[in-house]
Amino acid sequence: MAATTMPAAARRISLHRRHGLVVLRGRRPAWSISVHPRALVVSLVLLVATFLLLAWALTVGGFPLPFGDVVSTLVGRGSEDAAFIVERLRLPRGLTGVLVGAGFGVSGAIFQRVAGNPLASPDLIGISSGAAAAAVFTVVVLGAEGPSVTVGALAGSLLTAATIYLLAHRGGVTGYRFVLIGIGAAAVLTSVTHYLLTNAEIWEAHRALGWLAGSLNGRDWDHVRPIALATAVLVPAALLLSRQLRTLELGDDTARGLGVRVEPARAGLLLVAVTLAAVGTASAGPIGFVALVSPQIAHRLVGGRTVGLLPSAACGALLVVGADLLGRRLFAPTEIPVGIVTAVLGAPFLLVLMARANRVGSGG
Amino acid sequence: MSEVERTHRLEARELSLGYEDRVVVDQLSVTIPDGKVTVIVGANACGKSTLLRGLARLLRPRSGTAVLDGTDIAKLPTRVVAERLGILPQQPVAPGGITVADLVSRGRHPHQRWFRQSSAEDEAAVEAALVASGTDVIADRLVDELSGGQRQRVWIAMTLAQGTPLMLLDEPTTFLDLAHQIEVLDLLDELNDSEGRTIVLVLHDLNLASRYAHHMIAMRDGRIVAEGPPSELVTPALVSEVFDLDAKVVPDPLTGTPLVLPVPARHRERPTE
Repeated sequence: MAATTMPAAARRISLHRRHGLVVLRGRRPAWSISVHPRALVVSLVLLVATFLLLAWALTVGGFPLPFGDVVSTLVGRGSEDAAFIVERLRLPRGLTGVLVGAGFGVSGAIFQRVAGNPLASPDLIGISSGAAAAAVFTVVVLGAEGPSVTVGALAGSLLTAATIYLLAHRGGVTGYRFVLIGIGAAAVLTSVTHYLLTNAEIWEAHRALGWLAGSLNGRDWDHVRPIALATAVLVPAALLLSRQLRTLELGDDTARGLGVRVEPARAGLLLVAVTLAAVGTASAGPIGFVALVSPQIAHRLVGGRTVGLLPSAACGALLVVGADLLGRRLFAPTEIPVGIVTAVLGAPFLLVLMARANRVGSGG
Repeated sequence: MSEVERTHRLEARELSLGYEDRVVVDQLSVTIPDGKVTVIVGANACGKSTLLRGLARLLRPRSGTAVLDGTDIAKLPTRVVAERLGILPQQPVAPGGITVADLVSRGRHPHQRWFRQSSAEDEAAVEAALVASGTDVIADRLVDELSGGQRQRVWIAMTLAQGTPLMLLDEPTTFLDLAHQIEVLDLLDELNDSEGRTIVLVLHDLNLASRYAHHMIAMRDGRIVAEGPPSELVTPALVSEVFDLDAKVVPDPLTGTPLVLPVPARHRERPTE
């Protein structure tokens, strides 16, 4: 090796920019990662904003706490009283919001990229409706409460997703077919939910409706644990599979030509995405539009480029925490469930998205 | 000729292919000469694209085998195939918001792992593909914003970056205007000439096929009607047999290759003088 290359060769880690990406390389064993710097900055800014909103949300409640006390409690230096209020009473709600939102963000991004269509979001194509119908069924017909409702919602989403996938599959899955069948499934499942509610006892119907609105109210650590566990498993799985996602979005034939086993890769990605959406819906009810808009907002924030899943995750977390806070402050002391806030804010976004999609010809 | 036939890495042995209950390619055997440009021609729905997809293991055979380096391609791990054989499907669609460099770099997929996302070799292969295809000057632009010809060159660059000795391209010139068709074909010709890559193309235009092919395969109804060098192959009889077309064949004034002149209805059945 020439003497001039020695310094570079001796360096253990090298870093350089190439086509807008920062490439980091190490040696022995050889590894390299490439990062989109703007995507990283956007993710960090969104996460910091989420943390600040979360801290603000923790000041709100029966005993208002100063913002400074909340922050010092979060970093482990608060008074005992503040610690009790924050950690035992208020943090579970906030954390559930963060995890549910991040899960919806990742789930939406995977769905939209696998189907190549922004309308292919779990909240539009029946995944959430499946969870809702199953949850209402467990409440109204089986008289279940607590964890059983969560398990029911989870089973309902997975069953719905499997049905949509099988119906949409015809020698491959095309985005348009997937979306149409999904919207049809959503309509059927929504009418099932309504049917169950009209036949239910008034008290049980009321309980089911509370869940259906999508709410973070009254979440404790027992709610946080399952979703924290699911997130800890599923988000790394999604990141591992994102390499396959980068080829799948070029079409089945191209992906196969690049050596990807298309069917297992797509099934794996969709399974991760469905489970993330299902766990989120099971924990907080069907909080609509977050999975739909998070990837789209993230996409615009990074300058219209296709980048990884993290910006979308951070965006989802910020949206849910922000919408929950808004719902609690807007007409305080009356609380508006977070799902209603996201629906009011998300519906106009959907209209804009559909109008734009049709103009550029990707709406169908 | 005979030497060309003796060395080959890719072949079909009694290969039958189809979709659902329709047989499109029927017990077809063919060998692809190494280091040459092979062009498959034939009328619409004659099975030429299907054959290409079968050779690239995108379609599972009904019967028979596609053979790569002496092994049934269906038995080779798909990733191993992807290191030796690249395929550019018909009309690929790029997702929105993807840059030229990003798309081209995805051709490196078979050489990468999760913990090895961009090695020095990957980077060199992507740069070389961008330069060879003339897309280095537009590397940071969005694929959505490009013209059809530029976009096709970007896809070819992606297949190039894959770095395979065998490249299969399904109608890479369709929907391009004449200038862009020539641009794409010149690029492929250059790649074959300078790097010795084996290139298999499906083309519609017989005259362009005659100019660029070393070896031509003429298909009809899922079978091979004739194959060989265009200068021997392209005759009025063959054009009639493959396309049901009445045509005259004269030497191309520029290249000396066969030039097919279809006879318009008005000029048919009339004494020439």
